[in-house]
Amino acid sequence: MKLINHLILRISIVFTAVMLFWSAICFFLQMKEIHDGNDEGLTNLKQEFIAKANSSPKFAETLEMHNPLNIIIEEIAYEEAAGIVENFTTGKIYFATEEEKEEVRMLTTAFRCEQNGKYYRLQFFTSTVESNDLLENILCLLLGLWITLSLTIFVAGKIIIAGANRPFYNLLDELKKFRLDNSRMIDFTQTDVREYAQLNESVREVLEENINTFTGQKIFIENISHELQTPLSIVIAKLELLIEKYRDNRDYAREIAGVLNILNRMKRLNSNLLLLSKIKNRQFPEVSSVNLRNTLKLALDNFEDLVNYKEITVEESGEASPSMQMNEDLAYIMFSNLIKNAVAHNRKGGEIVIRYASDSIEIANSGNAGAVDVFERYRNVPADETSSGLGLSIVKSITELYGIELDYRYDKYHVFTLHLK
Amino acid sequence: MKILIIEDEYQLLKTIEEFLLSEKYIVEKATDYYSAVEKVMIYDYDCILLDISLPGGSGLKILDEMKKEGKTGNIIIISAKNSLEDKISGLDSGADDYLTKPFHVLELHARIKAVLRRKQMDGKQTVALGDLSVDFVQRQVLVNNRLLKLNRKEFDMLSFFIINKNRLITKEALAEHVWGDDMDLADSFDFVYSQVKNLRKKLKSAGSEIIFENVYGTGYILRV
Repeated sequence: MKLINHLILRISIVFTAVMLFWSAICFFLQMKEIHDGNDEGLTNLKQEFIAKANSSPKFAETLEMHNPLNIIIEEIAYEEAAGIVENFTTGKIYFATEEEKEEVRMLTTAFRCEQNGKYYRLQFFTSTVESNDLLENILCLLLGLWITLSLTIFVAGKIIIAGANRPFYNLLDELKKFRLDNSRMIDFTQTDVREYAQLNESVREVLEENINTFTGQKIFIENISHELQTPLSIVIAKLELLIEKYRDNRDYAREIAGVLNILNRMKRLNSNLLLLSKIKNRQFPEVSSVNLRNTLKLALDNFEDLVNYKEITVEESGEASPSMQMNEDLAYIMFSNLIKNAVAHNRKGGEIVIRYASDSIEIANSGNAGAVDVFERYRNVPADETSSGLGLSIVKSITELYGIELDYRYDKYHVFTLHLK
Repeated sequence: MKILIIEDEYQLLKTIEEFLLSEKYIVEKATDYYSAVEKVMIYDYDCILLDISLPGGSGLKILDEMKKEGKTGNIIIISAKNSLEDKISGLDSGADDYLTKPFHVLELHARIKAVLRRKQMDGKQTVALGDLSVDFVQRQVLVNNRLLKLNRKEFDMLSFFIINKNRLITKEALAEHVWGDDMDLADSFDFVYSQVKNLRKKLKSAGSEIIFENVYGTGYILRV
């Protein structure tokens, strides 16, 4: 759930509860106020009626005839009258004119007429607000208010919270895009909100430290492999002179050749490592429009003898001749390593199938099944003692550099696909 | 033939010197920028081996200095920098070739020979060896004066053997010379073996008596 919705949902729940509580209070206060008003009116009416009845003998005689529409007068016995306590009730009474029962407020009281000494029960009533109607009204009003307020909160919340959080969301977006090997600091949004400014500052510090460490390590690797070249040169050259000296001593010569073999492996490993770190350190800035089909052909030609030796058939299909902006040497190195891989892991009499499309190039080989994690650095199949195992890592770093998507799948063939932009 | 080695790494310098002396070259040495510039300006060399990173200044600056003075030498840059950029700027500044450390001494030898050959003014580019006659410019091989057709890689192989005759040629040095750095494959040794076998067969069927002696487990020697 998005932070903003999370906040608004919670605010809405609290808000609804408060509104309901407030609606209830409002309803009861309103009803009480209305009843108070009614009751006062009824009391006045009662007092006036009683005063009139007590003072005018005529009025008393014809008391029951005075029975107006909103007073019910009934003569009762003293005992009954003594039991009546003046009270207000809300009840329903049938009105002929309305042809329905209406809600009324009623004052019931007992009274002894001083003129004739008789006891009467008096019921004064007045029609009052229908409590259901009022409730409905109030609820309608409150609902309207609630919807309006909710919408306001939602919209204003979106605008205000989203606005206030913009530095935060921008930071999130930037962090998502951040790549350590890119060595590029992210863009921060200026903000007056102190927390966000602090957040930005902290993130900047952490990233800066990481970038520095990472760059330092990359350069360190490059320097180290660079420095290794000279001692390696010396040892190889010295051993090559030594093997010359002992060439007629078969045992010595073989031992020295064995050491040279290992040193040459080390040499290749080191130069591949150097190449890899140079690619990662973006030291191939020159780009041109490279025809990938031609470049692949060139790399393939270089392996022609080995391909023939292993009796591998190469099959090419597709008319497309895709090209893209990249460094020409890296394009060659990329294909060279892919072809090398396709040849090295192929069986004698196997196949290499190359498919060209306008936006992809596929290189498949009929190698043995079971390669996993092919791009893992230093991965090496056991039979392959002379390979540096860095070839596919180099391919991967070149494709990453130019945004080419490289994927691998096994489906009878080992298939490497380059998805061009 | 006089060769100047400009290299600050003493051990490497000694080793190259030893090798070149055994190939009957006259060798001079410089170990820093200033002595290198001095030597280059005063004397003429048939070939200069130049390291790029030197105490006192870059090897590339020596190339610039030479250019300014109108000096041309057959210069082979030897650098630990395998950067393609470096290669280009080196060749732009007038170097003839570029060899990345670490290298095989026999490869260095082949490069020196190639550079010397290119700068030879008399145009005679043919080396005779036994019943073979190899023209490096036309890239042609004559066996007993009859043309033998070889493909590019076969010619490269044969020329490497001839340049390094009487030396033990390891399969690695041979493979790298002919097929480049890309050949770091498990089966490349058997592969080299089969390629040499094919070349032998071709030479033999053309009537050549030349023999690449197989030194078991290490490489070959072309004995003359």
